[in-house]
Amino acid sequence: MTMFIQFLIDVLSLGGAYALMALGLVIVFGILKLVNFAYGELIMVAGYTMYMVSGLGLPWLVMAGIAVIMAIMAGIATDYVAFRPVRAKSVTAVLITSFAFSTLLQNAAQLFISPRPRTVPLPEIFSATVEIAGVITPARNLITIAAAVTLLAFFAFIMKRSILGIAMRAAATHFTMTRMLGVPANLIISSAFAISGFFAGVVSLLWIGRIGTVVPGIGLEPLLIAFIATVIGGMRSLQGAVLGGFLLAFIDTGLNYSLPQELLKFRDAFTFSLVILILLWRPQGLMRGPATGQRT
Amino acid sequence: MKRHIVTLAVLISLVIGLVVATDLTDIRLFDRIATNLCISLVLVLGMQVFMGNSGILSFAHIGFMGIGAYTSAALTIPVQMKGMALPDLYPVVAAVELSPYLGILAGGLVAALVAAALSYPLMRLSDAAAVITFFALLVVLHTVMLHWSEVTNGPRTLFGIPKATDLNLAAGFAALAIVAALAFKESRTGLLLRSTRDDETAAGALGAKVAVLRWQAFILSALFAGIGGALWGHFITSFSPKAFYLKETFVILGMLVIGGANTVSGAVVGAFMVTFAFEGLRAVESGLNRAQIFSEQVVGLTEITLALAMIGIMALRPGGVFAMREIGAILTRRARKKRDSS
Amino acid sequence: MLEVNSLEVRYGAIRAVHDVSLTLAEGELVTLLGANGAGKSSTLLAIAGALRANGRILLEGQDVTSWSPERMVRNGVVMVPETRDVFPDLTVLENLRLGGYVRRSDQAGLAEDRERIFELFPRLKERGDQPGGTLSGGEQQMLVIARAMMSRPRLLLLDEPSLGLAPTIVDQIFEMIVELKRSGLTILLVEQNASKALEVADRAYVMRLGRVAAEGTAADIAAASDLKAIYLGG
Repeated sequence: MTMFIQFLIDVLSLGGAYALMALGLVIVFGILKLVNFAYGELIMVAGYTMYMVSGLGLPWLVMAGIAVIMAIMAGIATDYVAFRPVRAKSVTAVLITSFAFSTLLQNAAQLFISPRPRTVPLPEIFSATVEIAGVITPARNLITIAAAVTLLAFFAFIMKRSILGIAMRAAATHFTMTRMLGVPANLIISSAFAISGFFAGVVSLLWIGRIGTVVPGIGLEPLLIAFIATVIGGMRSLQGAVLGGFLLAFIDTGLNYSLPQELLKFRDAFTFSLVILILLWRPQGLMRGPATGQRT
Repeated sequence: MKRHIVTLAVLISLVIGLVVATDLTDIRLFDRIATNLCISLVLVLGMQVFMGNSGILSFAHIGFMGIGAYTSAALTIPVQMKGMALPDLYPVVAAVELSPYLGILAGGLVAALVAAALSYPLMRLSDAAAVITFFALLVVLHTVMLHWSEVTNGPRTLFGIPKATDLNLAAGFAALAIVAALAFKESRTGLLLRSTRDDETAAGALGAKVAVLRWQAFILSALFAGIGGALWGHFITSFSPKAFYLKETFVILGMLVIGGANTVSGAVVGAFMVTFAFEGLRAVESGLNRAQIFSEQVVGLTEITLALAMIGIMALRPGGVFAMREIGAILTRRARKKRDSS
Repeated sequence: MLEVNSLEVRYGAIRAVHDVSLTLAEGELVTLLGANGAGKSSTLLAIAGALRANGRILLEGQDVTSWSPERMVRNGVVMVPETRDVFPDLTVLENLRLGGYVRRSDQAGLAEDRERIFELFPRLKERGDQPGGTLSGGEQQMLVIARAMMSRPRLLLLDEPSLGLAPTIVDQIFEMIVELKRSGLTILLVEQNASKALEVADRAYVMRLGRVAAEGTAADIAAASDLKAIYLGG
């Protein structure tokens, strides 16, 4: 029984983090049909911001807030540098520019800060342990679950109720028609990038909270997770991204628990094989997105 | 037909010109740069075969380069050395010692086989999902290389690969790659595939056949990548898994994109341009480091410049230098116009 | 109210609209007729700001040729395109709410307008929480017109509202159009169904191959014997 609760907490906390990662990626993709390779670097930016303000003696929440704001700004910057110049051109062009921008940011961090890991301040509560139903787990896991649930609920509310959310959902289906109702295109796009940055910032705090240090390449793993969660969930659907995140966490945790020691280091290969099987069965992902005639 | 011959002639003479010029100057540094350039040609052309014809970005390409390199290494490292280089290598393989030329071919073959086995499900994905999944495949291949110590020596450097690649060998393979890439492009498979590249309705009409076509192109591109990887392994004689990951992907992709992903000419010209630019920038970087202008080592300048160049090209000329037509087509049309007007 | 001078719209090298000029007075219902490919939709899209055009478009004397669609809506010009573009995953109410975007600070006014629209289109009230994609063709057409009305436009650009609809439904739609005209709205109506359009319009222009081939009052155009010839080409 304790094993089950342990498993559940692990899946929920990991899934929550994964779902937030995926959501930050899908929100830009859904509206603009563009894959943002520089998404991982938004996480990196938040991490390095924490590192750089760590000496100022501010309370952790304030530092976290600054980091998230920097991630939001970096998200909007991504729009201006990597997306706007090429938006009218092909989808491939945007993939390439965002990949290039990602490399640029990583190398800039390497050049101007350091290629070596830098410590990130963490609140003591992250490492405190908590006992639930006989299982001892870091408080960080519970905080992640709480944060994920709160943010997902808040996000769902915004998308459903607020005019901006409605506009963004409309723009994901038919961008031009949304403009023809008077909704400013740039506002929608910048909002999407800002929200993406916000999620990246929060994810950064939770993700780096497990390691404690930041390196230029730190965004790669979350990016990959977001990618895979999005693909299996269905690229056009916000709910799909969340579902994909939890499913991926389930697979990863399951493999963690069940693989023999020598094979554990190949866990990612196994996860990926399972993902391929899912895609063989459902190439368009598990959830159907908004109905359009367009390909994803 | 004529324009294809012209394209072949121009591109292969570029390679020949490179070899001749390098031999004439007889500087070792230039020999190294030229050989690397020829190996890059094989890699970029491999990427072009898939990406140019299917329109899908395959980030997994460099992973197959690694497969080729490690396969050839395992098969060609002298048996006595294997004991030290790959102590845990499976006895079946450890007893084998092939000539590097066979090793290179084996590297290509194994890469192609792995591609054939793994990649079919990815071919049915929509464009964006496919790109993402290929990217994940790269990471997985990298993870396997990083941890399969019996074959790769894990994250540590693998030593002892026999040096067999010289400029002539690399150039020979580069020329072969040019011919093969162009032949594929103009073959029935290539033409069919390219018709689906931009037209979604055409792709829909062909249905599942698109997946098979893409799969074939992917296997061919993996063959190139495997050969390129093995060639490189026999040139550099020691490497580790991190050589087959994002940085290399970025450089090869940059070459293809700047030159023009849709054309073989673009792939070739892009490789030349980026190599020369890179070497120039690297010289600047080391000059700066030697002169101690900055307190720390300047590293990453070349990548940053390449990144900016890629963004710039995408904004200004997204098709690359040779966006649509091969150089043969451009030259023959110009010749015909001149003939007609005179 | 609206004056279009020498409008030209190109798609790359192809000119879809050459040298088209037309005028609309306030409160008029003017219809733009013509066969497929005559350039009617392109003209409307250019006026709405969704297509770049050469020439001049004047809205109450102001040059709005280069204005974006968002700006046009803010200034009271809304278009209902031929493709309808109901947002299929948004509910009817959400579609309407989005239509009122430019007036989002006036919640009371929006609520009023919504009620008035539900009086005009009772079927929409019934289906308030249903996704737009589940509505029938006629209901979707009603929805997109209602959605456009939520912004309280001065000028409504309607592109082929009867497209693909059964005759009885078409009659209902046209009844609503007449209602809207009666309430003072200026309407530019593009239609292939010439007879229905001429029943409700004050004046008409007939387009052929991108140019205006005939213009006059609705009665004159309806009586014109060469109308068929213009439609069928030759």
